[in-house]
Amino acid sequence: MKRIILVGKPNCGKSLLFNQLTGLRQKVANFPGVTVELKSGQFKEFELVDFPGTYSLHTLSKDEEIAVVKLKEAMQQEDTAVVVCVLDATRMERSLVFGLQVQALAKAHNKTVVFVLNMIDEVRRYGFDIDTTQLADELGSPVFALSAKTLIGLSEFQKALPEIARQPEQYRNEQPAIAPENALIVARELSKNHGVNADVVLKKQNRIDSFMLNNVFGGVAFLFIMFFLFQSIFTWATPLMDAVEFAIGELAVWVTGFTGEGMTTDFLSDAIFGGIGSFLVFVPQIMVLTLIIGVLEDSGYLARAALICHKPLSYFGLSGRSFIPYLSGHACAIPAIMAARTIESPRKRLFTMMTIPLMSCSARLPVYALLIAVLIPSDATLLGIFNLQGVAFFGLYLFGIVTALLVSFFLHKFTHQHDEKSDMPFILELPTYRLPHWKPLMYRVVNSGLAFIKRAGPVIFWVSVVIWVLGYFPQHGGLENSYLGKIGHFIEPVFEPLGLDWRYGVAILMSFLAREVFVGALGTLFGIEGADENISGLAENIQADGLALGAGIGLLLFYVVALQCVATVAVLRAETGKARIAAGLVVAYGLLAYIIALLAANLIN
Amino acid sequence: MTLWEIPAKNSAQIDALSQALNPAVAARLSEMGFTPGQDVYCLRRSPLQGPLVVQLGDCVYSLERDVANQIHLAHAS
Repeated sequence: MKRIILVGKPNCGKSLLFNQLTGLRQKVANFPGVTVELKSGQFKEFELVDFPGTYSLHTLSKDEEIAVVKLKEAMQQEDTAVVVCVLDATRMERSLVFGLQVQALAKAHNKTVVFVLNMIDEVRRYGFDIDTTQLADELGSPVFALSAKTLIGLSEFQKALPEIARQPEQYRNEQPAIAPENALIVARELSKNHGVNADVVLKKQNRIDSFMLNNVFGGVAFLFIMFFLFQSIFTWATPLMDAVEFAIGELAVWVTGFTGEGMTTDFLSDAIFGGIGSFLVFVPQIMVLTLIIGVLEDSGYLARAALICHKPLSYFGLSGRSFIPYLSGHACAIPAIMAARTIESPRKRLFTMMTIPLMSCSARLPVYALLIAVLIPSDATLLGIFNLQGVAFFGLYLFGIVTALLVSFFLHKFTHQHDEKSDMPFILELPTYRLPHWKPLMYRVVNSGLAFIKRAGPVIFWVSVVIWVLGYFPQHGGLENSYLGKIGHFIEPVFEPLGLDWRYGVAILMSFLAREVFVGALGTLFGIEGADENISGLAENIQADGLALGAGIGLLLFYVVALQCVATVAVLRAETGKARIAAGLVVAYGLLAYIIALLAANLIN
Repeated sequence: MTLWEIPAKNSAQIDALSQALNPAVAARLSEMGFTPGQDVYCLRRSPLQGPLVVQLGDCVYSLERDVANQIHLAHAS
C-alpha cells in the first residue's frame, strides 16, 4: 500500500487533521523506552501515518531524535508517496522554518511535499487571508489552506491529496534547494508577504495570559484548576468505577453459575474476576484523568501550568512539566509515568518517573482508610477544629510528596549527567488558547484505557494467578495453612521488628497484586467476610486484637513509600527502557519503607 | 546586557547568542527566531527569578534564567 506521511510541529492541529482524514480506525505503534508514537490509519487507498510533532529536524532530545530518524527512514522507503507538512497558518514564520527543513529533506530523497495551512478560519476571523496559489509558486510545492476544526477547505484537500499521491512526480519541487542557513531568512520573507500580523493574532492570547500568569490571580486560577482536576479523579470517576465493579461482579456471578461449586469456580471468581476486576476498576479513573489533562493541554493551559511550576520544582531537580505527572500519580502511577513523556529534559523526566510511585495513588486509599480507622477514633480532633482522621489522610499524602521531592533532590545532587543531550534547558512555546476539539480527545481517552490494560494487564494476570495458587493450596485449613500462610510464617521474623505478625506479612505480600488487596486479605485473616465493604467491622477486630500505635503508623508510612505495585514496575521498566532502574527502585523504596516503619514502630509508643 | 536583564514591558534587539551555549540549544534558539537583529519584547517576569516570557515575531516563549542569560542584547529601546 502506498503511504502518505503527516508531519508538523506540536500544536499545529495535526492530530485533528489525521482524525478527520482517517475516521474511526487507527493503529498506534509505540517504541520502547521513548515517547515516540506512530499512529496510522487508512485514507482512500493509502496508509496515512501520523508522525509525532517535533519542533525541528535538528533534534534536542533523544525522543525527537528517534522521531526524526524514523521520518528519514520513511523518506527513503519506496512506498512513501507524499509528505504532508502541516503548518499553523497563524504563525507562518515559525511554521515555515520547519516546513522548509521538511521540504529540503524530501527533496534530497526525491519525495513530494504538500503544505497544509491549518487553522485558516482563525486567520480569516482576524480579517486576513492567504494567497495559496502565490505561496505555492514561491515554495514550489502545492499549498492548501484549510481548517481541520471548522472543515473549511477540507473536502477540497480530500479530493486533491489522492490525485497528488497517485502521481507524486508531477508535484515535486523543481526549484533549487534552499541552503539551510538561508531557511530562516526565506521563512521570514515569505511570512512577511503572506502571513498575518503577529500582534493581532497574539493580542487575545497575551490578554488572557495577563490574567492566567498574573502573580495573584494566576496563582488562584492555578489552584482552582488543579483542585478541579483532583476532584474529577476522585469524585466524578467514582460512579464509573462503581459501574465497572458492578458489571464485573454480575459477570462473575453469571459465569460461575455455569461452572458450579469447585476449584474452577473459586479460580474464576477469586483470581480472574477478583484479581483482574480490582485492576479494571481503575480504567474509568484513568480515562477521566486523561480527558481532563487532554482538555488542559489542547486548550493551551498546560504550558502555562508548567511555566508557573517551573521555578519551585527546579529546586528539586525537576521541571515545571513534572507537575501534571505528579498530580496524576495521585490517581494511578501508570498514566502518570506515561504523562512524564512531555518533559523536555530526559534527566528530569527520569527523576519524575522514578519518584511518581511515592504519590499516594487511589489503590492506597482503602489501606489508609482501614489503618486510620484502627488507630484514630473518629471523633478525635486536632486543636478542636480539624478532624484528626482527615488530618492523618492529608499527612500521608504530604509525606509521599515530600519524600518524592527529597528523593529527586538527592538524585539531582548526587548523580552526574552522562551527555549534553540528557539535560535540556526549559524553553517553552506558549500556544494560543483554543477550545479543544472532541475528536482527538476522544481517541486519546480511549487509547489511554487500552494502553493501561495492554501494559499492566498481563503482569496483573500472572501475579493474580500465582497469588491465588499460593493462597488456595494445599486445600485445607484456609489461608492460614496455605502456602501463602506458610510463607507468611516463614518471613514473620522480617516483620516482627516492625511490630507486625505473620498476618500482616501475608497481607503485604498479597498487596503486590494491588495494594487495596491488603484490606481484603486482612479481612480473611481476621475472619471478616467482605472486608472491602465493612472496613469499620474489620477495624474493630484489629483494635481488639491489638495493633500498637507505632507499628500502625509504621505500616501506614510503609504503604506510602514501598513500591509494591507490579504493574507500575512493569511500566517503569518499559518507559525508562532499563530493567535495572525498575528493579533498583523496588529494592530502594522497599528498604526505605522498612527503615521508616522500623523507626516509627520503635520510637512511637 | 542579556535577555535575562530585560525589564517587563520593554523591547530590545538581539545581538548574539553566547558561545557557551550547547550548540544544539543554540541551533534551536536560532530556529525559534533568536537571531541577531531580531526585536524581542518582554511580556512578563515571574516572581522568584522564575522563567521570563517574551514575544518574538509570531510566537510567545518562556525561557529560564540559564538560557536567557546566554542571549545578548544590542540595546534596549
